[in-house]
Amino acid sequence: MAAPRNNNSSCWGVPDVYKHHEQKKICISRPKYRDGRRDRAVKVYTINLESNYLMIQGVPAIGVMPELIQLCALYGAVEEYKPLDEYPAEEFTEVYLVKFQKLTSARAAKRRMDEKSFYGGLLHVCYVPEYETVEDTRLKLQDRRRYIIWAVRNKARKKEQKEAVNEKPTSSEKATTSETVIARHEKTVVPDNTGNTSNICHYSGFPLLPFPPQEYHYYRHGNPHWTIPTEDKMGTLHNAIIDTKRLEPQSSSSCQASLDKDRGTEQRLTLNQAPAAVRFVPRTTHLENRKRRMEEAADHSLTDVTINNEPLIGPKLPEPPKLDMEDVSLNTTANLIRNTLKKVESVPDLKPVEKKVKPRRRI
Amino acid sequence: MWKKDSSEGSDRFEYLQTLVTEFQDTDSEEAKEQVLANLANFAYDPNNMENLRELQVPDLFLDMLTEENANFVEFGMGGLCNLSMDPECRDVILQCNGISLVTNCLSNQREETVLSAITTLMNLTTPSSRAEITDPAILQCMLRFSLSESPRLRSLAAVFLQDCCSQEQVARAEQQMQGQQTAVGIPLPKD
Repeated sequence: MAAPRNNNSSCWGVPDVYKHHEQKKICISRPKYRDGRRDRAVKVYTINLESNYLMIQGVPAIGVMPELIQLCALYGAVEEYKPLDEYPAEEFTEVYLVKFQKLTSARAAKRRMDEKSFYGGLLHVCYVPEYETVEDTRLKLQDRRRYIIWAVRNKARKKEQKEAVNEKPTSSEKATTSETVIARHEKTVVPDNTGNTSNICHYSGFPLLPFPPQEYHYYRHGNPHWTIPTEDKMGTLHNAIIDTKRLEPQSSSSCQASLDKDRGTEQRLTLNQAPAAVRFVPRTTHLENRKRRMEEAADHSLTDVTINNEPLIGPKLPEPPKLDMEDVSLNTTANLIRNTLKKVESVPDLKPVEKKVKPRRRI
Repeated sequence: MWKKDSSEGSDRFEYLQTLVTEFQDTDSEEAKEQVLANLANFAYDPNNMENLRELQVPDLFLDMLTEENANFVEFGMGGLCNLSMDPECRDVILQCNGISLVTNCLSNQREETVLSAITTLMNLTTPSSRAEITDPAILQCMLRFSLSESPRLRSLAAVFLQDCCSQEQVARAEQQMQGQQTAVGIPLPKD
């Protein structure tokens, strides 16, 4: 490990280069049965290596920070970000530190953005847990532990249910792998009790990428059969998204109760409900909540677009262009077309041109 | 990769079994490292923990801790760190003298190995194992780590000291450390 240059414990101090930032060499000698879809190095991921802090290297130095952060924000709320000017970088590239609100968002962003092209540059994304505070680390471990205990209990419960009841194969079984994330999103667009159809979040103005793979612990449509993993043959599940939340034991039973409810009524957990126990809320609900909050904010004529209710640290992103539906200029094209059609209709019909008929060649 | 039907569980088990078999049968150090890393990564997913337990993978990981190959130790320790989050795996590890094997890794040269060891010790803390885990020697080690230049080591050691032991235990360990240090500071006579 490279010797640290200073003891600056502030997360915004001069950055040190650590071994886990380096990209390891890809392993090329794996036998086929355990070779994955993507080339990977031989590396073990533990909860210590993961973090809600990501470092993104290889960003072209052409002033694309807003675009980069918008891209990151697709995977979840970004709390803070800043360029790491002192970190060693290749010529004409920049390095950024991005702090996500949740580890699962960071995991998704790392998976989707690492080794991807971005404005002509190749991004290298890695976790940087050294930026965590003691409290960050503690919470990370606690969340992870709670999730594991919940997942294991859930699995045991389902096993019991399976053994207890002879189940018929469910025709409505909804696969939960990454390939079907778009389909899943469409399901969540089903109108809820308020009749409000929630659409894809447009707040970033960015073309929406398919959602990262998720394991839905809280299954909104009442189907308990969800345990489809998203690992590849090398066990790299750390790349999958496991939406962890601090689950109290009581709330897991409330999840079960809602699973048994009538499938017609869609139970929507919002962040405003049950403030006493922290609830697990699927990410699509977050997006819908965010959109609703934005609409409410727009009604109150707020000009700042905040991703969450906390004050935004760092330079603000450019605002999405505001559209005035009453503007006359919006109808310009339609009017032009109408006028042209009127002109065309007013011109008298021309004589049909006589067609010259070519004699057909007989073979 | 896994089939989405009722045989998915057995597919998964068979695949993991194939990995374990390859690990045991192969002579290639490189292949062993790859498979070990795969198993350690699979241990991250709670869906696999029961299967890995049945395949006695916790024992396999524990065996790696006394190997010469530093990668074996690191990957094995990482696997234990992942597995020990599950209460049943934790109990298996405790029964196999896990605490003492993991404690030895606290003095490893590689930071990842040490970090995995600290987290594993935290996971292994139960009412019955707490006394062994909060042994003064371990606490003193954690106190030293909490003064380390490495921020990750500092944070993790701090969490250990705050969550796994009482303030009295920490204070006692600090006192013992100071006693040792004053003795070390005295230069030996030259004659």
